[in-house]
Amino acid sequence: MNEFTERQMQLTWRAPKKSYDVVIVGAGGHGLATAYYLATRHGITNVGVFERGYIGGGNSGRNTTIIRANYGIPAAVRFYQRSVDLYRGLEQETDRWLMHQQKGILWMAHSEAAVRAERMRAKLNTEFGAETEFVGPRQVEELCPQLDMSGGGRWPVLGASYHPQGATARHDRVVWALAEGAMERGAHVHQNTPVEGLILDGERVAGVRTAAGDVAARAVVSAVGGHVSRIAAMAGLRLPIRTHRLQAFVTNHYRQQFGPIVASSELFFYASQTARGEMLLGAEIDPQPSFSYRSSHDFVQDVCRRALCLLPFMSNLRVLRQWTGVCDMSPDYSPIMGRTGVPGFFITTGWGTWGFKAIPAGGEQMAELIATGEIPELIAPFGLDRFARDRTMADRGSAGTH
Amino acid sequence: MTTLLVDGQRIEARGGDSLLVAMLRVGLHPTGGGCLCLAGDCPNCLVTVDGVAYTRSCQVPARDGMIVRRDHLGGEEPALLPDEAMSAGSAAPAHHVHCDTVVIGQGASGREAAREAREVGFDVATFDARDGQHVTGVYPGPLVVAADDGGRVLHVHPRREIVVATGAAEIQPVVPGSDLEGLVTARAAAKLVGAGIDLGRAVAVGEPPGELPSGSLAGHFPLGQGGWELVRFDGDGRVEAVVLRRHGDDGAAEERIQCDTAVLGLGRNPRNALARMASDLPVRVVGSAATEPELPSCPREGTVCPCSGVTVADLDGVWERGFHEMELLKRATLAGTGTCQGGVCLPYLRSFLLERGGRLQPAFTARPLNRQLTVRELAAGAHTAVTARSPLHDEHLRLGARMDRAGGWWRPWTYGRQDDEYRSVRERVSLGDVSSLGKMAISGPDAEAFLERIVPTRVATIRPGRCRYVLMLDERGYLLDDGMLCREAEQVAGDRFFLTSTSGGSGFFELWMRDWAEAFGCDVRILNQTASLAAINVTGPLAARLLARAGALELPAFGRHRRVRVAGVDCRVVRLSFTGELSYELHHPAADARKLWRRLLEAGAAFGVQPHGLEALLRLRLEKGHIVIGQDTDYDSTPRRLAHEWAVDLNKGDFVGRQAVLRTNKQPLDKRLVALRVDNPPAGDGAHPSAEGAAIHDGDRYAGYVTSDTGTTAGGDATMLGWLYLDAEGRLPREVTVDGHPARRVDGPTYDPEGERARAAVDRRDEAPENVREFPVVRLEATDLAAGIPAEPPRLRWLEATRVSTTPEALAALVKRPPWSAGALTFRTAPDELLVTATPDFGVAGDPHAIVERETAFSYVWLDEATAERFLDRECEWPRPGARPAFAQGEVAGIPARLWFEAGKTLILTPAPFAAAFERRLTASLAEIDGGAT
Repeated sequence: MNEFTERQMQLTWRAPKKSYDVVIVGAGGHGLATAYYLATRHGITNVGVFERGYIGGGNSGRNTTIIRANYGIPAAVRFYQRSVDLYRGLEQETDRWLMHQQKGILWMAHSEAAVRAERMRAKLNTEFGAETEFVGPRQVEELCPQLDMSGGGRWPVLGASYHPQGATARHDRVVWALAEGAMERGAHVHQNTPVEGLILDGERVAGVRTAAGDVAARAVVSAVGGHVSRIAAMAGLRLPIRTHRLQAFVTNHYRQQFGPIVASSELFFYASQTARGEMLLGAEIDPQPSFSYRSSHDFVQDVCRRALCLLPFMSNLRVLRQWTGVCDMSPDYSPIMGRTGVPGFFITTGWGTWGFKAIPAGGEQMAELIATGEIPELIAPFGLDRFARDRTMADRGSAGTH
Repeated sequence: MTTLLVDGQRIEARGGDSLLVAMLRVGLHPTGGGCLCLAGDCPNCLVTVDGVAYTRSCQVPARDGMIVRRDHLGGEEPALLPDEAMSAGSAAPAHHVHCDTVVIGQGASGREAAREAREVGFDVATFDARDGQHVTGVYPGPLVVAADDGGRVLHVHPRREIVVATGAAEIQPVVPGSDLEGLVTARAAAKLVGAGIDLGRAVAVGEPPGELPSGSLAGHFPLGQGGWELVRFDGDGRVEAVVLRRHGDDGAAEERIQCDTAVLGLGRNPRNALARMASDLPVRVVGSAATEPELPSCPREGTVCPCSGVTVADLDGVWERGFHEMELLKRATLAGTGTCQGGVCLPYLRSFLLERGGRLQPAFTARPLNRQLTVRELAAGAHTAVTARSPLHDEHLRLGARMDRAGGWWRPWTYGRQDDEYRSVRERVSLGDVSSLGKMAISGPDAEAFLERIVPTRVATIRPGRCRYVLMLDERGYLLDDGMLCREAEQVAGDRFFLTSTSGGSGFFELWMRDWAEAFGCDVRILNQTASLAAINVTGPLAARLLARAGALELPAFGRHRRVRVAGVDCRVVRLSFTGELSYELHHPAADARKLWRRLLEAGAAFGVQPHGLEALLRLRLEKGHIVIGQDTDYDSTPRRLAHEWAVDLNKGDFVGRQAVLRTNKQPLDKRLVALRVDNPPAGDGAHPSAEGAAIHDGDRYAGYVTSDTGTTAGGDATMLGWLYLDAEGRLPREVTVDGHPARRVDGPTYDPEGERARAAVDRRDEAPENVREFPVVRLEATDLAAGIPAEPPRLRWLEATRVSTTPEALAALVKRPPWSAGALTFRTAPDELLVTATPDFGVAGDPHAIVERETAFSYVWLDEATAERFLDRECEWPRPGARPAFAQGEVAGIPARLWFEAGKTLILTPAPFAAAFERRLTASLAEIDGGAT
C-alpha cells in the first residue's frame, strides 16, 4: 500500500441514452468540469460525456499539473485567478484529496530585458488580482536555496517574479473528482465511445454519432484537446488551431526537499517536485505542428542540459519516464471558449499548454454559458469570433513556458 | 583485489562480480528483501553508487573504491539533494556512432542477428546489458541512446535496422512474504551458484534452474496442473519456508517446506518495452523478446508492484470503485509507475483485469526511459543556446561594460556611467555598437518588386542613395519587425538594396524573405550579412566633426547613405536617427570593427567621446517615441494600433499583410500605443522605479498599461510609452493616471518634436583641416587557408574571404572557370552561395545581379585529422563524409559549422559571433578527451 493509492472516488458507469440535454465530446478535465459545474451549479444532469479512450487519458493526464494566474494580459489574469481560486476550494467542495499544494512559482530572469518583463508581469498581475511580486536575487535564494544563482556562470539569476499562489495538484485526481461529482448527480460518462460524427438538423447541431449509436442533444460541446480540428470540421468549422507536441519528463522518486516551482523563459524550462517525490520538468512546445505522441531524445537532452545550469543538484538524479501530449495551440496563445456560430455547437479549445490550470474556471464558465444562454463576462473576450473581429488576446505571459 | 565500501563497511569482491554478487557474498541484501533476478528487471537490488541512487546493483560491475549506500533499504526513498552542494553541472561526454544495424542484446538470437548482418557486409553495433551497456531508449531518427560501462553516453544512428534481442524477464512472485530476503529467480540461482555463493537449503518452485549442479536443490515443486500452487513465504526478514498447496484444491492442506533460499521459476515475460516504444521505426524483434507473454494466474494476495507498494487488495479497491481500464488501474494505484516501469507488476495487472473484467487488456504504453540514465548523462551532447558576440565584445569589456543578453546577442548594458552615457549623446558625441542589427543585401531583376511586396512602405520612391524606415508585417497585418531600407547609390545592373532588421529578428527574417521570394517567384539574390558587417553608430551634435577628424568629409545628408572611408576603413554610412541626435551608422566588415572603434575614440578624444550602452539608448529613443519591437509591440500590433499608419501605403499594390490591414481597418479601433508625459513620478534615490507594467486609468476605468519607461530620470517629468484603450465612445483619453499619478497623452516625441537635431544641416568646413587625422587604409588580404596548419592549442581566427550570392547556374559556371588564384579554397554553402578565400575583385559571368562581397563573418581553425575525429565523434551528431577532400555543414557542439576535410587535417568554420563559444567548447571537449575523462 502506498499513501497515493486512490481510495475515495467512486466511478459509476451507465449505458448511453438515446438523448441528452447536453452532450460533451471529450472526458478530459474541461469536458468533465463542464459536466460537473452543469450539475452542481445549474442542476443540469441529463448530460452525456463521450470519450474515445479513458477519462483523463489525453492532455489532462499528460501535463505538468501547474496552477497559476500570472499571465500577461488583464483578461487572462482575471480568468486564471478564478481558476486558482476554484482549485483552492475544490478539495473541500468535492471532499476528495486532490494533492493540491500551494508552493509558489519563481520565474527567473537572467538579463535586463527579462528583469523588465518580470517586473512588468508583477505589476500587471497585481492590478488584476493575481498576487505577484518582483524579488531580487537574495529573496530568490531564500525561496529556493537549491538554485545555482550564477546559472553555471553563464545564466546568472538577476531576479524573479514570485507568484505565491502557484500550486500543483494531482492531474488524474482532479479529473476523477470532477467525473465522480458529475456522475453521482446523474451525468453519464462513456469511455471507449468515440464520437464519429455530428447530427445536423439544418444549420443546427442536434446530436452526435458515436460508436454506440446516434445520440440526440440540445447542445453539443466540443471539449476535445489536440484533435479538436476534426470535431470542428464535422460542424463545418475551420479553427485557427495548430496541434503541436508538448513533452515532459520525471525523475525517480526522492525525498521531499524542493519546495517551489521554478521557471526560466530564457533557459526555456521549468521544474517542480511532485508530491510523490519526482522532479518534474517541462519546456516549450515542439515548434513543428504534429499529432505524434512519440517522445524525442533531444527534448530530454536539451532540458537536462538547461536544468543543470540552475539546478546542479539534479546531476545524479535518474530520469524515470518521459511522455508527450498533443496541444491545441491558438495563434494568440489564449483559449477559445463559447459559441461557434453553428447553433447548438459550443467549443472550448485552444488550451495549448495551459489547459490543466484552467480546468475549474473553464468548466464553470462553459456550464454557465450553456445553462443560461448568456456569455459570462469572464470569458467574453475569449470567443472564437475574436479572430475575425481583430480582437485577439495576444498573451506573451503564456507563451514559452507553463 | 577489489575493495569497496558498503554503508561504510569495507567488503571485497572477486573478479567478475557484479556489485550485487559482491554484496550477497557477505550476506548483504541491497534493499533488505524481495526476489532477486540478477537481470535488471526488478527493483529489489537498488543501491546508491558514488552518489547515484536507483542504481541496479546487479547491472554494475564491482569496482575498486566504489562507495555504496543502501539508501533503498526497506523501500526508503533516497535524498533528493546531495550531501554537499554541487557546483554548476556539466554534461557527461557523448559519443556518436553511425552504423547500418544496431543489435540490442547479445544472447543467442542477438548474436545470430549480428552475425547475419555482418555476413552481408553491414556495419553492426551491438549492446548487451551484461557488458554494462544499457539502452535507455529507441527514438525517431532512428536513434538508439545507450550508456556504456566507461561512463560514455552513446548516440547510435543506424541507417538500416534496429534489432531488439533483449530476451525475456522472469516473472516475479506475488504472494504474501514476497518481500523477504532469500528469494531468487531460477536464472539468478544458477548465476549465484556459478559465482560460488552458498544458497543453503534451496527449494525450487515451478521451473527448476537448468544449470545447477545436481544435488544443490533440497527440493523441487512444480506448479500448475498435477503440481502445486504457491501460497506464501514464511519468515521473519528472511525466508524460512515456502508454503504450498496442491494445485486446484483450495481445501487442500498447506504444506510448509523449510528452506534458506526459495528458487522461483514462474515463467517468462518478454522484454519488449524497447520494441513497443519504437513501433513505427525500423525495428525487428527476435528471440524470446518476440514471444507472447506468459500470463501468471491472477494473484490472490500480496504485493503486486514493489516499486509503488501496491497490493492485490489495492487493485481490488479501485476496481470495485469503477477503475476498470488498464491505464486507470495504473494511475489510481500507481502500479507500474516506479523504477522497474511495470517489469514486475505488468503481467499480474493483466491477469487481474482479465479475471475481474473478462477482457484481456493490452500492456500500458511503453515509454522511454527503458534504463534510467542520470540528468548529466542525458544531457550528454547538448549545449545551451549560444549568445552571439559582437566583434567589439572585448572592446566593451576593456571599457568596463557590463554585458547583457538582448535579442540573442551580448550587448553592453552600461559602462557604469549611465547618466553620462546619456548626456554624451545629447550634448557631445558618443559611439554605440549596433553590430547586432540584422543586415541583408538584396539584388536581382525583381529586387524592387519583391521588396514592394515585403514591406508596406513604398519602395519605388526610395531613390538611389536614399534610405527609409520600414515596417515588416505578417499575413495577419501584425508587426513582425522594423528596420531601414537603403537603395544602393551605384546601380550597376538593376537594383540593389540593403535592409536592416532588429537584433533578435535577423535569422527568422532571412527565412521569411526567402520563403516569400520563392512564393512570389521573384528573381532575387539575398545575402544575409548580419555577421559579415559590424555597425557603429556615431551620434551626438558633434558626430560630423568627429567623423571629419577621422577623415570622412563627404558625409550623407539625412535620409541618405553613401560609401565613405572612415579612419581608413571602408564603410557604408547611413544617416537616420534612433537617438534623436545627429547620427551616422557606420556599417563595415566585421574584421575591421576593432580598428575602426579605437580610431573613432582616438579621433573624438578632444570632444570627450565615449560609448553609450543599451540602457542609455533605450532612454534616448523613448524620448523620441521610437518603439522597440517585442517590448512595445505585441502579437496583435497593427500599424494603426501602433500609430504607424504613416509607414503603410495601401495604394501601392499588394504586400504581405495588406489584406489584413484593409480588413482590420474596418473594425473600430480599440487601443493605441501612445506617448505619455508623467509629471513628477515618485522618486527613489534620484530615480523613480520603472513604471513598466503599471496600469493606466482613465478616471476609474482601466485604460491600459505602460510598456516602456526607463525609470531613471532624476526628478522632473518622465516620458513613457503605453497601450491606451479607447473609451466607450471611441475616444482616446488625454488626461489619465499612471499608478495613480497624473499623466498626459502627448502627440509626437517629447524631445525635439520637430526633429531638427537629427536632421541638422552639417557643414564640413566646421572642422579645421589641421584637425583631420590621417589613418592608414585597412585593406583586405584573403586568408591563405590552404597553407594553414593545425596549432596547439587550437585557436579560432578571422577568415578573410569573399561571399558570392548568385543563381545556381551562374555559380556552377563560376566554379568551373574560377577567376581567383589556384590556391583559393571554395565552399558551396548553399545552391546559390559560395564562399571563396579570394578578394572580391571579380564579377560573375552571366549574372550581373550577383552579389560579390568581402566576407569576414567566419572564424576558422585547422585541426589535425586525429584530433578532429576525436572531437567530432563527440560533438557532431550527423554522419560525416568519408571521402577526402570533402565539404560538409551542420551543427557541431551546438553551433553551426562548416567542415572541410583534407587528408591529414580538418578545417572548421563557424560564424565569428560564435567563435569564442566554439573555441571554449572545443578546448573543453579536447581537454576531457585528452584527460581520459570517463
